[in-house]
Amino acid sequence: MIDFDTGLVISILASTLRRTVPLLLAATGGAFSMRSGVIDLGLEGMMLAGSFFSVMGAWMTGSPWMGLLFGVVFGIVFSMLHAVMHINYKVNGSISGMAVNLLAAAMTPLLLTIVYGLSGKSEIVTSFSNFDPDWLMGIPFLGPILGSQNVIFFIAMALVIISWIFMFKTTLGLRMRMVGENPHAASAVGLNVKAYKYFGVAMSGALAGLGGAYLSLGQMGMFVKDMTAGRGYIAVVINAFGRYNPFGALAGSAFFGFFDALQTIFQSVFPSQLVMMTPYVVTILVIVFGLKGGRSPAGTGKHVEE
Amino acid sequence: MVEIVRMEKITKIYPGTVALDKVDFFLNEGEILSLLGENGAGKSTLMKILYGLTDPTSGDVYYHGEKINFRRPVDAIEKGICMVHQHFMLVPAFTVTENIIAGSEPGKNGFVDMRRARKEVRDLISQFKFNIDPDTKVENLSVGEQQRVEILKVLYRKADVIILDEPTAVLTPQEVDDLFVILRRLRAEGKSITIITHKLKETIALADRVMILRDGKLIRDDVDPSKVSTNQLSEMMVGREVDLQERRPAKNIGDVSLHVEGLTVEEDGKKKVNNVSLDVKAGEILGIAGVEGNGQTQLIEALTGLRRVDSMELLLNGEKITGASDGFLRAGIAHVPEDRLSMGLVKEMSIKENMILGYHREDDCCDRRGVLKRKEINDKGNRLKDQFLVKAPNVDAKIDELSGGNQQKVVIARAFSHNPKAIIIAHPTRGVDIGAMEYIHQQMIELRDKGAAILLISADLDEVKTLSDRLLIMFEGEIVSETMPGELTDIEMGLLMTGGHSMIEGE
Repeated sequence: MIDFDTGLVISILASTLRRTVPLLLAATGGAFSMRSGVIDLGLEGMMLAGSFFSVMGAWMTGSPWMGLLFGVVFGIVFSMLHAVMHINYKVNGSISGMAVNLLAAAMTPLLLTIVYGLSGKSEIVTSFSNFDPDWLMGIPFLGPILGSQNVIFFIAMALVIISWIFMFKTTLGLRMRMVGENPHAASAVGLNVKAYKYFGVAMSGALAGLGGAYLSLGQMGMFVKDMTAGRGYIAVVINAFGRYNPFGALAGSAFFGFFDALQTIFQSVFPSQLVMMTPYVVTILVIVFGLKGGRSPAGTGKHVEE
Repeated sequence: MVEIVRMEKITKIYPGTVALDKVDFFLNEGEILSLLGENGAGKSTLMKILYGLTDPTSGDVYYHGEKINFRRPVDAIEKGICMVHQHFMLVPAFTVTENIIAGSEPGKNGFVDMRRARKEVRDLISQFKFNIDPDTKVENLSVGEQQRVEILKVLYRKADVIILDEPTAVLTPQEVDDLFVILRRLRAEGKSITIITHKLKETIALADRVMILRDGKLIRDDVDPSKVSTNQLSEMMVGREVDLQERRPAKNIGDVSLHVEGLTVEEDGKKKVNNVSLDVKAGEILGIAGVEGNGQTQLIEALTGLRRVDSMELLLNGEKITGASDGFLRAGIAHVPEDRLSMGLVKEMSIKENMILGYHREDDCCDRRGVLKRKEINDKGNRLKDQFLVKAPNVDAKIDELSGGNQQKVVIARAFSHNPKAIIIAHPTRGVDIGAMEYIHQQMIELRDKGAAILLISADLDEVKTLSDRLLIMFEGEIVSETMPGELTDIEMGLLMTGGHSMIEGE
């Protein structure tokens, strides 16, 4: 059995934070996409691309920072597929999003074989170490929790704040939200609707790519086939649950991260197959009970004739 | 008077049609010009050219004496020419302030200065006495208030020339009056205003000058509204005599056909319809006047089986009717809904498909196995299209491609052609032009004279007054008066519609 002592609580909370980060990054990215009026169903693929290419970048350059950059850039590249199909060619956003997911799921194992000659997983690359200076570790309780996080965790927290400020305090944020709510109205006051949509989707690609990089490069130092395991889809739900607000995404991700963390710890106690279902069961429960009263931006999927 | 806008010999050719044929236009500073014409006369096209939404095929536009060529509406906005669109360009989830400033926000370094924005908006609101709260969300505003937000948007952008496209189409009579007060106030501030409209009374009440277009040609541009009658105006607009005011009372009113007793509908804990009883006799039009939102929608939905009611007894020719809307239809209660596009038609579907919607299971459309009879439907569509004068290339044309008047004719054709015993008709001529309005009124009277019981609900006072054989007024879910048309003056009706019945009764 498990003893409920401080050590266990710390380890659950530390694990919660680690599991929050990739969901949080993807969901915050999704908030950009949805707020600009483009559905965020491509998050899974963008995340997977980010997790593969970040490892490849680190492998090629020897630098985890370059790896991170690769993850972000390729997240954007994959998001642009979605953007071009949906924004320029008016393909239904759910379909173009799924196309991204399918492409990433098919392409990453292929590249694994081509680049590494391996199937299933990549070679191990240099990764980020935990940010654990003595002064931080010295803080009781909080110290060991934060001390077992790497630098991407702190970047993610900063990004949540920055994203919120961007969306709700800046001119561009207001305009982006206007595009997402009513593209016709936005166009009527002279806004370039397509540009804002492209920006929103690119941000979703960048942040989902970063989230993917955290999973591979940030946690394991390698890429494993299908390693996102539906986190991109869960992020879509979290984003709706968090009302397309970065802080809402933070709350939602922490909620999911907590159940995900519990899952790993209780695997030794309950049958692991049952326990591993937890995050997905929670997702379904959230979809059924947590999305009531929320509504997505009114202009989602609408185009303006120019 | 100083001329601010001049357009010379504007021609606009769309593939297959000449929308505008060498039309000259001018607008003076500080005047309200009514640009009058039926749907398709070219008035919107002319204004779109001025506003930069579309290019003329030929012709020149001058603004303050300077030749201009706006590529996009934004160019026009920058120069002070703004348009208030018929379909509002607002974000319901934003506050009034956010809606007004978005796209031209005050602030620096990329941040929005909400404090300054709110103050500027508040100042504008008080300068023009608009009486709306800058911090409420637009979704909580009435249609009239939303329109004021649109006007504020335009004022915030320092417009000198304001074009309003069919500004009264969606407003209640009270809101129309409020709008006119606002527009006169804007004129007093030196703004130049053009309203695109096909409403004659409003033109006469508001405009300083009337310009009339018909079939893309300029008919007159110097009509003084104080010197003409609505009949003269409609003759200029339509090209023939039209009389919408002539009453044709019923001659053969029969027994009670539709009997409603004790109808109560609760919604959000409020009684939207409170214990209403009414009878409509065969061969009679019973009109219900009232400000929108006083229970009319709930009444209509209850009488057509679209809504569950808290209590109602409904008899049609003595037979009790219950159940869902298809049961009501089959029993012979037809429905011309309030909003043709959201409830009456499927705009992506063709004319012939829309002609049978709701009646598609009947034997003439559908065989026993549930397969639609294509040929019969096609023939029926063609027959109704000809009979009800629906202007369209063919019956396969999508509803989307038709004008509002022709869309409404499709709804009318579907409902009227099934020889209903009773029919609930709501706002039958909202947003349709005079020609179509005259035609629809005529059809209603024919249907009545064939013995149908007609319940007419309309926000258009003139319409209810002209058509009804008996007139009810509804206020806050109750019937507050029953009279014969002509017994009450407009002022008395207005009072009753706004809850002043006790004042009149007390006289």
